[in-house]
Formats: sequence, C-alpha cells, structure tokens
Amino acid sequence: MTTYIIKRIVLMIPTLFVISFMIFLVLNLAPGRPGGGSGGQGNETAQSQEARESYRIFKEQFNFDKPVIFNARFTLTEADVEREVRILADFQAPICPAEGEATPGCIPEAQKPEVADIIKAEELLEDWGHYIVPQLIQIADTADRLDMQKIALRQLSTNAKRRLLNEYGKQQTPEQREANKAIHTENEMVSKWRLPAEADAATVDAMMNENWKPWFEEHRHRYEYGLGEKIVIFFTDTRFAKYWENLFTLDFGVSHVDKRPVMEKIIEKVPYTLTLNFFAILLAYIISVPLGVWSAYRQDTPADRVMTIVLFLLYSLPSFFIAVLLLETLTKGTPLDIFPTGDFVGKFPEWYQPADRNIQSTDDLTTLEYFFSVSYHMVLPVFCLTYGALASLSRYARTGLLDVIRADYIRTARAKGLGEPMVIVKHAVRNGMIPVLTLLGTLLPALIGGSVVIEFVFNIPGMGLYIFESIFARDYNAIMAVLLISAVLTLIGLLITDISYAIVDPRISFD
Amino acid sequence: MAETKQSGELTAGGAARPEYRSYGDIIWNQFKKYPVSYYSMWGVVVLFVIAVLCPVFALNVPFYISFPEGVGPAELAGQTHFPWFGALFDANFFESGLDIFFNFLIFAMPAVAIVWVAYRQTIVTLPKKEFKERRLRYVGWTCVLITFGFIAVYWYDFRQPYVDWMTFSQLEGVRSIFPHFQFSYRDVDLSSVTLPISWDHWVGTDKEGRDVFTRLLYGTRISLTIGVVAVAIYVSIGVVVGALGGYYGGWVDMVVLRLIEVMICFPTLFLILTLRGFIDDPSIFHIMIIIGITGWTRIARLVRAEFLRLKNQEFVQAAVALGLTQRTIIFKHVLPNALGPVFVAAAFGVAGAILIEATLSFLGLGPPTAPSWGQILTTGRETGQMALILAPGFAIFVTVSLLNLVGDGARDALDPKLRK
Repeated sequence: MTTYIIKRIVLMIPTLFVISFMIFLVLNLAPGRPGGGSGGQGNETAQSQEARESYRIFKEQFNFDKPVIFNARFTLTEADVEREVRILADFQAPICPAEGEATPGCIPEAQKPEVADIIKAEELLEDWGHYIVPQLIQIADTADRLDMQKIALRQLSTNAKRRLLNEYGKQQTPEQREANKAIHTENEMVSKWRLPAEADAATVDAMMNENWKPWFEEHRHRYEYGLGEKIVIFFTDTRFAKYWENLFTLDFGVSHVDKRPVMEKIIEKVPYTLTLNFFAILLAYIISVPLGVWSAYRQDTPADRVMTIVLFLLYSLPSFFIAVLLLETLTKGTPLDIFPTGDFVGKFPEWYQPADRNIQSTDDLTTLEYFFSVSYHMVLPVFCLTYGALASLSRYARTGLLDVIRADYIRTARAKGLGEPMVIVKHAVRNGMIPVLTLLGTLLPALIGGSVVIEFVFNIPGMGLYIFESIFARDYNAIMAVLLISAVLTLIGLLITDISYAIVDPRISFD
Repeated sequence: MAETKQSGELTAGGAARPEYRSYGDIIWNQFKKYPVSYYSMWGVVVLFVIAVLCPVFALNVPFYISFPEGVGPAELAGQTHFPWFGALFDANFFESGLDIFFNFLIFAMPAVAIVWVAYRQTIVTLPKKEFKERRLRYVGWTCVLITFGFIAVYWYDFRQPYVDWMTFSQLEGVRSIFPHFQFSYRDVDLSSVTLPISWDHWVGTDKEGRDVFTRLLYGTRISLTIGVVAVAIYVSIGVVVGALGGYYGGWVDMVVLRLIEVMICFPTLFLILTLRGFIDDPSIFHIMIIIGITGWTRIARLVRAEFLRLKNQEFVQAAVALGLTQRTIIFKHVLPNALGPVFVAAAFGVAGAILIEATLSFLGLGPPTAPSWGQILTTGRETGQMALILAPGFAIFVTVSLLNLVGDGARDALDPKLRK
C-alpha cells in the first residue's frame, strides 16, 4: 500500500510538470499581454521617454522581455539588429517631397515603415537586451548613416544596463547589496552616454571613442559566451525557466493588477469559497443519501418514479437562474425582504439587531454573532449550490443500494430474523454507500472551484470571483496559480479516492 | 439457404424465423418503453422545428407587400414584392452563417420529410433490412445535398440594401402580410424600452427596446447549435483518442491516459473561462470550439474502456485473421460496438454544453450581439424585469431537462440488465 502511494505521488510530478507547461504555453502564446488589450500595456501610448522606460521595467519585472521556452538570442547577428535599427531610423527620417529639392537623408514615401513594424522593432531591440550590446556597438561605430548610429547609441544606453541581483525579491544579502551598488553606479553612468537627436557626426564619434569603446573593451568578456554558457542560457534564461524557479520556492509571483503576492491574495479568498462549498457538499450528502436509499428501497413504485423525475428536473435547473430568481424575490428591496443580497458577513435579519453597541466592522461582532451573520448570508448561496448536486448524488446512492439489496448476505440477515430497519441501515446501507463516500475524493477540487457563478451572483469575494476577475485583467500569475492549485487538489483527490476504495473494500488491493 | 434466411421463410424445423431485428431496432423498441424519455425526444424535435421556423413567426419583413399606383417610393409604386424570401438568405440582414443555415433548412427540412414519407409509401415490397438500408442511404444523400446547397448559398454571399418595410406597410393603401411578431431580434428601438408584457410583446422588451420573445425564439437556434456542434467536436476527438489508446495499449495508451489525466485536473469552468479570456471578440463558433476542446476526456475514457473490453473478443480476432487493415478493424468492427455509451454521454453532453453556453453568456462572456438565453437573463437581472428572468430561465430549463430525460431513457435502453 505504501509503495503504491509513493508510486502515485512520484507519478504526479511529471503530470504536474506537463500541466504547468500546458497552462504556461496557453497563457504565453495567446495573443495579448497582461494589462488588457491585445496591444499590451502602455505599448502604443508609450510615446514619452518616461512611459517607455516604465513599460520596459514592467516587462523586465514579469520576465516578459524573455523568450517563452528557449533562448537563442546569442545567435543574433549584426544584420538582424541592423534591420530593426534601420526601421527606426527610416521612421525618423523626413519624407522626400514629390518634386523639388530633396533634403539629405530623406526617405521616399513608399519606403516609410508601417506603425506596427516600428512598434515591433522597438519591442525587439528592448527585449533582446544585453545580448545585442556588441552588435549595437558595431552599428554605432561603423554604420553608414548618422541617424542609425544615433539610434544604436540610444538603444545602447538602455541595453547595456545590467539587472540588479534579486531585484524584485524580498530579502537581499549584504553581498548582494554591495554588488547591486556597483551595478547601479555603472547603470547610471551608462544611461548618461546618450546624445540629443540633433548631434552631429563629430560628437557621435567622440562619444564612441571616449566612452563606449573603452567601456566595451573592459567588459567584453560579459558578451562572449562559451558553449556551456550558451546551453545554460538556451534553457534557463527564459520565461518558463524563471517561472519554474519561482515555483520551487512556492512563489507564485505578484499580481499584475496591484503588485501584491498572488499567494497572499489566494489565502485571503480561500476561506469564503471553502465555507460555501463545504456546507453545500455536506448538506447535499445529508439529504441525498437517505433520499437515494429510500427510493432504492421502494424501487419501481410510483413514489420512486416521481422522485427520480423530480430530482432530474432539479438537476436541469441552471443554478444561476435559481440564484437570480431568489435574489429578485427574497432579498432586500424586494417584496419578501428576508435575506441579504450578497456578500459574506455583516448583516443581520430584521428581528435581530445588536443595537446596544456601535458596530463599525466585523471585528466588533462576538464570535456567536459572527457565525450567525455568516450563516444568514450563506442560506441562499448554499441552497443554490446544494440542489443541483442532490440529483446526481442521490442517483449514486440509489444505484449503490440497488447493487447490494439483492445480495445473499441481505437475504441471510432477513432469514435470521433481523428487523427491516436493522437490515437496511446496518447491512445494506453500509456496503451500498461505499461508492458514494469515495466520490468525496473527486469533490476536493470543487471545494475551491465549484462556485464561480454563485459567487458572481451573490458577490462573495471567493476564489471563483477572483479567477473571473483575473481573467478579465489578464493577470497571468493569478490564473496560473489558481489553475495549478486546483490541479494539485484534483490529483490529491484522485489519490484519496483510490486509497479509500482500498481501505473500505478489503477485496481491492494495489499490491 | 441464404435466400431463405433473407426473406424470413420457414426453416428446416418448421417454425417461423423471428423477424430480422438489428441492434438499433432492439434499442429503439426498448427506448419506446420509457414514455417520459420517448415524449421528451419528440419535445426536442419540436424545439428543433421551432428553431428552424423562427422567421415564419417573427421577422420585420413582410411575406407579401403590394403598393398601389402612386404610393410609396417611385421604384416600388405599383409593384408587388415578396421580400421575406429574399431576407432569409440576405447576409446583411442575418449576419451569422448560423441563421442562414437554419433559414435554408426551412426549405430543406420539408424535402427530407417528403423523401422519408414517400419512401415509406412506395417501396413496401422490399425485405425490411434492405428497405431500411436503402432509406438510410437516400436520406443520407439528401443531407449531403442540403449541406452543399447551404455552402453554395453561403458562398454566394447574397446581399440586399436595407429597406424599411415596416414604414412602407403603414402607408395608405398598401397591403402586406407580416409574420405574427413584426420584430427583428437585433433592431434597437429606443422608443419602446423595457415595456411590460403585452399582446404585442409576449415577454416584454429589454433595455434596448428589442422584443424579447423574438430573441428567445432565435436563441433556440443558438442553444441547439452550440449543444450539437460542441458535442460533435468533443465526441470526434474523444472517440479517436480513446480508440487509439484502448486498441493499441502500451505506450500509446500511456500517453492517452496521461493526456486525460492532465485535462481532468482543471475544473472545467475554470479552463473554459481561461480559454475564453484570450478571445477578444468571441462568436458562437469560438464558444463551440472552446467547449469542444475541453470536454472530450469523458468520451475518451468511455471509448477506451469499451475498446479494452472488445479487442480480445472473437470477432476482432476473426477480423485480424482475415487480414483486414487496422483502420478497418478499429473503425468498422470495434467502434460500432463501442458507441452505445457514447450516445448516452452525448445526449447528456448536449444538455451540459447548452448549460455551459448559458452560463458563459450569463457571466457576460458570450457573443455580445447574439440573442443567447443566458444573455437575455443577464439583461433581465440588470433592469430587474421578472419576465426577462423567468422566460429564458424556463427555456433553458425545458431544453436541458428534455435532453437529460432523453439521455436517461437511452441509458436505460442500452443497459441489458434494465430491459423490460
């Protein structure tokens, strides 16, 4: 048994890897970037230098400047870089007038690059980062056009910056802080080595010879990669590798929306969903097992048939329909003013008002009052979640009992004179309910993911509403985290199901 | 010997051979013994007919309009027009290919019915088996013709300029016959916003002044299509994947199992929401594909289990011994025997897909302009109109429970233990 469990857990690891890889691919290859819209956050609007810079930092922070799975940027040649620089230079160059004297360095109207190409070129030069520093130096030094040289210089002052160690992490060691100081001074220095747009050829040359060339000679080793380094870069300097690096330390990253750690937000939201679904599942079991047993006991009587059909119809009622219906008829502001319209805690029914105290927030409530308020809020959502599960669960219970009720040991029990309740409850139900109980394992992921619609309707700030909002905000880290957590829960649930089969039924063995 | 068997005459023993009954016949006779399921099936057929005939009930274009001399615009005066028939295929009027397909069926469906009935009336002398096979072939070819006809109509991309027939019909002396509900499901009319239930508007109007009953009628088309197409997509994926895994076993099975395991690890709604989140402007076809690619695991597991059961049986060994290709064995010999549980799962699956689509539309993630039931319910919730909540909710409920009851009956009919 232990071997079996260990084997299953070991098998989970590749499955989890594939799962995370799949989610990762779907999220990263899908059109659009975080921040909403398919253009990307501040991409088209980033006209000013500051906006451009903050967008670049945003990309760097969430590793969006890195390639998705493999990184082969050390193979980029000067021609690749020159092509992009040329597009930018063409964009800035004046258009040749149709007739009359052409200004020097002008571009015919037909060769003017498209806006989409310019944005792409800018993005590419930024994303390629320090991998293209040698190529940029080369272009700035030897390009035949002055404007291209200047653009290469400008790009150089951005790309030659180095990333601080452990920049977005929480803790930094003293050595890291020391190293970061050095990196920072160098970055400051490098970012000043740029020229205004109207600079002439002499200043460009001076800047190259005085600042950039000596600097590059000094740091040339940074941009030359051995075979081993290339392989390491190829596999590890990517979005996927960085993400996995963080996953190993159970760090799901920060939310794109408010920059808070995703894990913190999830832990904040899980209790709501857990309460809701726990009580719904509990209630569904408490009601459906007796119902199923009763209807199996009276198999093929009119009562059984009516019950089956009624439960079937209940099963077909969409839960959001019932939820909206209840919301429109039973809550505040409607004729039957009984229940609150949503939220999780804080309101009380009309007949109970803790009026003698001034209650500002939920902290002022006594524990009893808190539970009372929560259960008052839970009535409608739990009802909506429960009734749908009733039908399928009681169906399972019915089949489970039907399987055993004609067994020999039941006949024996009757033959030896046991009373009917004893036969049913003690002999039949105990054996017949095994499949129903093992179903519990598969319900584990439903504990956190089973109530998206209900949370949406009743405005309960749980996991369902959270993933719903994250998807709209394209908050990739949040989506990944929620999907991964539910995947892990499902895997554990499946394992629990299999183990519980073996525990309750001695005939099943995994050895 | 072979001839006597065919025509069902006396055998050597003297007793009459029982009439030929195929597996399908047996199941069908069983299914008819569950009255609730049987009538539910006819209910689904009625829903389908309603979906096809929507424009007959509700459209703001007249079947017939006749202008006397000197009335109306110059180019129409003194003429008689039948604009309804043109509007059905007008790509300007019905934007989605789905509507044009259903409009095409208005004319094609009677053709199929006539073929079916005529065949029954004329060829009664054939043995039953042959008759049924021929009928099936005939109907199949008719369906193929219909499909090609629709594709031709769709590619022809027929477009007409918009004409406001409603205004013309109110002119003095103009005679016209309109469908009973003179509304289109998408024309915004700000003069009649959120009207209550009346004789004109059976379910009232929504906040953009559109007649909700018309929208409900056209919503039938969306729901049924999404259900059927999404399930068709995932049944075909699931059957192929499950068949490969079950038949070949070994590493193929291992890959299939891991794939299924990966897929079932996500709560379905989460996965659907995530995929939907990446489509900026969804149409109903996107929704179908999303439901299709997330729902196949169940079918794959069923088919795989059936294949594991069947592949060692004698008839498969006989097929192998005869030297048939593996494709023939898998798809012609094993698969037909494994399809029973798939049919049941598909019937429940259509109901499930309709529910998922309604949920997505309710959450505001459906196609924005389509008259989907879930979307009508959301607008009702926004404006607080009870009719707009009850009517679509009831429509979803009826459709889904009819389909579920059909699935239930099919399950019982296929189960030999439960045969009556």
